[in-house]
Amino acid sequence: MLRMKPLITGAAAAAAIALAGASALANPYKPYEGTTIVVSWPALAHFQAAETLVEEFTEETGIEVEIDALQYLKLRDRQLLEMSKPEGEYDVVSWVVMWKGEYVSKGLLTPLSQFFTNGALVDPQFDIDDIADAYLQNGGVVGGKKGYMPGKSGALYGLPFGAETSILAYRKDIFEEQGLEPPTTYDELRATMAKLHEAGIPAMTSRGKTGHQVTAAWLLHLAPLGGRIFDDEWNPVINSPEGVEAAQVIREIAQTGPDGIPTFGFGEAAAAFLQGDAAMYLDTLKIAAMSRNPKLSKVDGKVGYALHPVGTRCGSETGGFAVGIPANAPNQEAAFLFIQYITSKAGDQRMVELGGDPVRISTLKANADKFDDYPVVAEQLPCADPDWRPLIPEWNELNIDVLGQALTEVITTDKPIQPIMDAANEKAREIMAREGYYTWAEYRGN
Amino acid sequence: MHADGLQSRSNVFSHYAALVVLSLITLAPIWVMVATGFKDDVLVQQKEPVWFFFVPTMDNYAHIMTRGKFDTYLWNSIIVGVASTFFTLLPGGMCAYALARSEFRGRRFTANATLLVRMVPPAVLAVPAFAMVVTFNLNNDLAVLIFFYTALNLPFAIWLLFGFYKQIPVELEEAAIVDGAGPLQVFFRVLLPLMKSGYAVAAIFTFRIAWNEFILALLLTGRKTRTLPVGAAGFITDTGVEWGRIMAMGTLIVIPPLLFTFFAARQIIAGMTAGAVKG
Amino acid sequence: MSAQAELAKPALAVKPPMDIRALSPYFFILPAVLIMVAGLVYPVTQAFYLSFYDWKIGTDFDDAPYVGMRHFLRMVADPDVWESVWVTVRFGFWTITIEMALGVGLALLLEKPIRGASVFRTIFILPLMVSPVVVGLIWRYLFDARIGWINYYLGFIGIEPQVWLGDPELAFFAIVFTDIWQWTPFIFIIVIAGLQALPSEVVEAAKIDGVNWWQMIFLIKLPMIKSVLVIALLMRLIDVFRALEVMYILTGGGPGRATELLSLHIYNRAFDTQQLGYASAISVLLIVIVFLLSLAILVASNPMKDKSDV
Repeated sequence: MLRMKPLITGAAAAAAIALAGASALANPYKPYEGTTIVVSWPALAHFQAAETLVEEFTEETGIEVEIDALQYLKLRDRQLLEMSKPEGEYDVVSWVVMWKGEYVSKGLLTPLSQFFTNGALVDPQFDIDDIADAYLQNGGVVGGKKGYMPGKSGALYGLPFGAETSILAYRKDIFEEQGLEPPTTYDELRATMAKLHEAGIPAMTSRGKTGHQVTAAWLLHLAPLGGRIFDDEWNPVINSPEGVEAAQVIREIAQTGPDGIPTFGFGEAAAAFLQGDAAMYLDTLKIAAMSRNPKLSKVDGKVGYALHPVGTRCGSETGGFAVGIPANAPNQEAAFLFIQYITSKAGDQRMVELGGDPVRISTLKANADKFDDYPVVAEQLPCADPDWRPLIPEWNELNIDVLGQALTEVITTDKPIQPIMDAANEKAREIMAREGYYTWAEYRGN
Repeated sequence: MHADGLQSRSNVFSHYAALVVLSLITLAPIWVMVATGFKDDVLVQQKEPVWFFFVPTMDNYAHIMTRGKFDTYLWNSIIVGVASTFFTLLPGGMCAYALARSEFRGRRFTANATLLVRMVPPAVLAVPAFAMVVTFNLNNDLAVLIFFYTALNLPFAIWLLFGFYKQIPVELEEAAIVDGAGPLQVFFRVLLPLMKSGYAVAAIFTFRIAWNEFILALLLTGRKTRTLPVGAAGFITDTGVEWGRIMAMGTLIVIPPLLFTFFAARQIIAGMTAGAVKG
Repeated sequence: MSAQAELAKPALAVKPPMDIRALSPYFFILPAVLIMVAGLVYPVTQAFYLSFYDWKIGTDFDDAPYVGMRHFLRMVADPDVWESVWVTVRFGFWTITIEMALGVGLALLLEKPIRGASVFRTIFILPLMVSPVVVGLIWRYLFDARIGWINYYLGFIGIEPQVWLGDPELAFFAIVFTDIWQWTPFIFIIVIAGLQALPSEVVEAAKIDGVNWWQMIFLIKLPMIKSVLVIALLMRLIDVFRALEVMYILTGGGPGRATELLSLHIYNRAFDTQQLGYASAISVLLIVIVFLLSLAILVASNPMKDKSDV
């Protein structure tokens, strides 16, 4: 029954369009005029910028949109609650890529193939191949290799919107004054931090608040330094030499950076750079658009961009957000039209004009000479690591309870790092064992 | 009863001086909030504190009123506050009356159990309340919040009103009963008017809890049902903490409890000390 | 006599005025009892029940596997749980000790009735009327490492800017300090009320006997308000196990678990890492602790009815 529903309504929609087409200009939005869809997304700058695009959408299509913007780490509780009801309030949800596995494994999202097979809904010029592959795979595809990576078994559940990778942002004026070059490797990065610190300049800002935030900070360095969370058999390797080195890096960042890193969430870490309290920011590309926003930034025009420094390999963050449609959304077709609109070529270009971040290669190319960061991003994207963090349902607990605690100890104390990471590794193993990840290995062993 | 003559002039002075200093320590943080609500972003982010002399701006208030859903949150807070106060006082008063006036089997157990459930921590309620909401599909319903605030407030209200009923002379009721009044008439016609101040104190405490409560509200409210404290915390956004807006919202949230304090300080203190000092 | 003691007292001295029909008391208590059972007792039993299941947010409860005692076994061996119990105990120790010392000390110094006392009293109850969320927000601003006023003023006495909420020790200090600001006035007010309710004859008689100031305080006044102090202490103690809102805003429990009181720990476990069943098991522990403390209040307030009834 569930599978039939979109087909039937799709047919009804097609019929409605046929009728409308007979009398007036053809308009794919016509059947949904007057519908109100409710969108749940984060209170981030990109999404605040998108509010204008949403107004334009309503003007053009007649579909009303209500936005429920929350602090991004508070989104999940709210969305899970809504999506686990028989009929939810939200028509569109925006998730941090790390929640996609959980949402899909609990059966809470609608596969987008149900809409992409509907000729009345899909704009033939949508061109999904133009969307940066790293973004699409990471935010929207679930069920591939390891459950979250690209692969034949994957299916599309969302489109990237507010997706990101990491680049290095640095203060050109400070670097010039100190005679520094933007670092290209981790050795250079650490040397640069030390030099800035010696000169009395807070070197690099970073997130560091207990839980998700400090773990995100560590992950940024784990991938380029060659580390991983798990090996191929789901054995945690948090305490590998690479993991310990990444922990050492965030300790050095906390020691040489602006005051308060252990209290910094995403907003505070960015604010430290934007208010001029730090010389470097190595995290999401979102910093570029934020630095151009006079409401948020005092450093517009002084910021240069470079690739995420390389350790043993090039590997930058894959994260940010994707938008999709809950299985219990009351207005699924209108919701699809909405997410198609905001991620379309025109919508993507409009987001750039409004101060947001594009997800399409064509948009990056078209605006490359306007914004310094776009060429860097385009060059960075091939390095975006699809296995940057394991996007499994258990990641949540590992992220907050295990790593989030251990890494706080790393940046707030002087204790030797290896034992801290060893203990965290052991905890991670217990969780994975509890959730049954080793049953296949044991089964083969017998 | 203390002989003022025994206290020397300098003693009186140091007494006042001490009280003034303590008052300033108490008031300073609250003033910081009020002042910050009237500052622009530059002043708010400035490292040098400015206590009094700055050009006040209404921008934060304008932002709250227009951009946020302040009216919705305010309305929700009022509904929740008033409704849970009403639903606490009526059954609470009846229960307190019975406990104070009648002798019945289970009276002692009821009294003791009431005191025990008063101590249930809100954190313990969080998960079961969440489960109830999911199971019975009650999400985004203000009634859920009203229900839990009523339950949380009842024990204290009963306890408080019990003390007030005890102070009313029994003879009044006896006279009414001689005149042929039933228990309900005695309760509503004879005692209720005499209990005005008691109910006022209980109402202040109940309303205050409902008005201020955050953690259950955060959990049990959605887009349309958020209360003011949840709305205020919403200004901790991912682009930074909007201190000016938060403090403006905080100031607005504090106004009703502040008014109560100024107009009914004596009664509030009576309520607070009821547990520990003889009434 | 305290209302509390009286409420727990078995029988009424005065017989009901007339023959109130035997059932009417039950009719009067029924609505309140029903609401309290449904809104407090039932959820507590649910917490017990849920602690035997491994239920995850977003899934049907019917699909949640029964895990027996596994959550409880895990809890007993979970250092994080005991760490937050320890944080709560330390928090309770420091806040209550300092609040009692300050509150009682100030009350003894300032007990004499003076003109305008009601104005000061009004001021002192303000911190208790302010929403806990707002208290948390105000102090988060004041303790902020970058723009916080506390760092600025400490700079005048030569103290370097501190990251108050980012260092385990300092963050703990910050939540203790905030609690002291909020609750010392409460102790102060009820102790003053207790002192002023003392019969003046006793005090005068002692003066005539020539006791000095110290003897007056430690041998006469404090022993006479002992019951007030005990109740205040126990009530604060229970509050410590109930508190979470201020810390939720101020530190969120961090850094690490340095300020994660038991109530907040339960909340974070339930809704941050979404282990509803396990969080329920920990809340059973919390219920047991609070239940024992509440019994202590009942016991403490009962003997009081003779002594304080002066």
